[in-house]
Amino acid sequence: MSHLEVLLLDDEPIVGKRLKPALAKVGCEVEVFQDPVLALKRIDEKDFDVVVTDISMAEVDGMQVLEHVVAKNNRTKVIMITGFAMMSLAREAMEKGAFDFIAKPFKPDDLRLIIARAAEALGKPIDFEINDNG
Amino acid sequence: MMSQPSKANAEGPESHDSISGRHERARDFEEAKKALLARPRFSVRAQIYLGFALVFLFTIITVAGLLNSIYEVDHKVRFLETVNQYLIQIEQARRFEKNYFLYGTNLREGLDNVYAANQILEINRNQILSITGRNVYDQMLSNLKEYEALLKRIIDLEQQWGNALANTEIDHSIDVREQGQSMISFAQEMAAKERTALEKSINRARQMHIYYLLALMAIMVVNSFILARRILVRIKQYKTFAQRIASGDYTLITPMRAYRDEFTELALAVNQMVLDVEAREAVLIQSHKMRAVGTLTAGVAHELNNPINNIMITGHMFLEDYDSLDEADRKDMMQDVVNETNRAKAIIANLLDFARESGSQLAPLDVAALLTDTIALASNRLKRSRINIEFSKTEKLPRVHGDSQQLRQVFLNLILNAIDASKPGGKISVTVLPADEPHYVAIKVIDYGTGIPKHILGSIFDPFFTTKPQGKGTGLGLSMSQGIVAKHGGLIRVFSQEGQGSTFTITLPVTTFPAEIKAETHLANS
Repeated sequence: MSHLEVLLLDDEPIVGKRLKPALAKVGCEVEVFQDPVLALKRIDEKDFDVVVTDISMAEVDGMQVLEHVVAKNNRTKVIMITGFAMMSLAREAMEKGAFDFIAKPFKPDDLRLIIARAAEALGKPIDFEINDNG
Repeated sequence: MMSQPSKANAEGPESHDSISGRHERARDFEEAKKALLARPRFSVRAQIYLGFALVFLFTIITVAGLLNSIYEVDHKVRFLETVNQYLIQIEQARRFEKNYFLYGTNLREGLDNVYAANQILEINRNQILSITGRNVYDQMLSNLKEYEALLKRIIDLEQQWGNALANTEIDHSIDVREQGQSMISFAQEMAAKERTALEKSINRARQMHIYYLLALMAIMVVNSFILARRILVRIKQYKTFAQRIASGDYTLITPMRAYRDEFTELALAVNQMVLDVEAREAVLIQSHKMRAVGTLTAGVAHELNNPINNIMITGHMFLEDYDSLDEADRKDMMQDVVNETNRAKAIIANLLDFARESGSQLAPLDVAALLTDTIALASNRLKRSRINIEFSKTEKLPRVHGDSQQLRQVFLNLILNAIDASKPGGKISVTVLPADEPHYVAIKVIDYGTGIPKHILGSIFDPFFTTKPQGKGTGLGLSMSQGIVAKHGGLIRVFSQEGQGSTFTITLPVTTFPAEIKAETHLANS
């Protein structure tokens, strides 16, 4: 089973620090970024299966990252992290081609679930049981 | 006024700060009231009455004088008339006497005139006595008697001697003539003297009229000048009070004169009004602050989500991987949890500290630290609008004597306004530095946004003036900020160019010489 290649972008260091091993456990190969500029550079270099990005960041916001990824490779699934459930922002993200969004605070399993769905959509299922009821 | 303390007490112990603040003001008010009422009273009404009483008294005296001089003139005219009648009788008698000596006509009729003259003297005795005195009157009477006696002797002699002329008669005729002549000249002299006196009296009465009018005018001019000045000075004073209060300086009116009057009641009413306005403004400031809190809450909630999310992820991973984690990892994770909890606590504390209702608490403040807190409070709004904030400060600035909450509200107001004026991705500069005037610090909030059009620049500090869409702004932010800064003895100035951005500059007095600054503001008020 090939690894799912994931880029995780959040300006909160703890998010990357804790989620990287959490996602690795379910078969993801995770690259973590805090700086969106560096993340965009990396996206240009490599095609990721999944990009998980925070919406609210100082220099470049998540929307711009989304637009950038979609423009480059619309096979990549983009998952948006919103600070608080802002439906208009979420709807806008979905219209622009985001795969899904997740609101802070979330459990590691919440993100794993969304990533597992994305993986399934990509035809590269990961080691996480999707329970549609939960 | 009396209901103020009890109302404050009813609010309970939570708002203890505001109670002590209001108590303090209530005490100031009572002290000002006591000082205002302690002075002796000299009302404007009393001054008006006094002025009229003075004029009336002066008029009475003058009228009495005039009446007296009219009476005098009247008296003298009557006297002259009497003297005239008397003279007519004497002259008639002398005509008979002359005819008798020239033509030997009857002398008895002359004697009748003498009796008539005598009668005139008798009837007008009092009148003549009052003017000439007893000596003159007695002499007139005795002259008349002598003349009468002389005439009678001639008549007696004529009866004894018939129509023949005798030597003695010639002697008598000489005596009679001399006596008659002297009587006439005596009376004429007297009349002439009285006529001059009469003219003098009339002259004096005429002058009295003129002087009275002049003096009356002088009294009225002086009185109305003093009265008008007193009232106008006070009105002008209250005009400056009104301007001062409008600009947000709520210093109570204290006594400035040695006496109290109707304006003292006005001063008490104005003080009461200032107290009420102040209380109402406190409510308004608080409600405006809560609106600011409202606009911040969304941002703060978002801000809060980050540490909570970190704690949540860390907690779940800690449980999930507990067995496989080594001790260093576990410690690291728990340390993260503790740090993030503190971070959440600080975010909430900052907001609550800002939102908390409290009375005016003055303390020496580090303006730079206040600005740092305020920027933290607005950090999420800044982030969401993708606005970069640059904060620069001059090290070791003197402290500012003020109310931290109120000043933070002013700073937040300016920063939020700057955010609204800026384009996304723009920049805001906040600087604190020594002001151009000594003993002042300046806080500058600069945006590079739309700028303020010239035609509305004059009204941006007016209450309820807003350019924001309905429901977005109260129009109270800047007017309230101006009020707060004015209360701190400072100023807000604005410099703006359309399309280039705006600079709001706040200058605040430093604490180095609190007594001096206090004295200055007092001077400015009086």
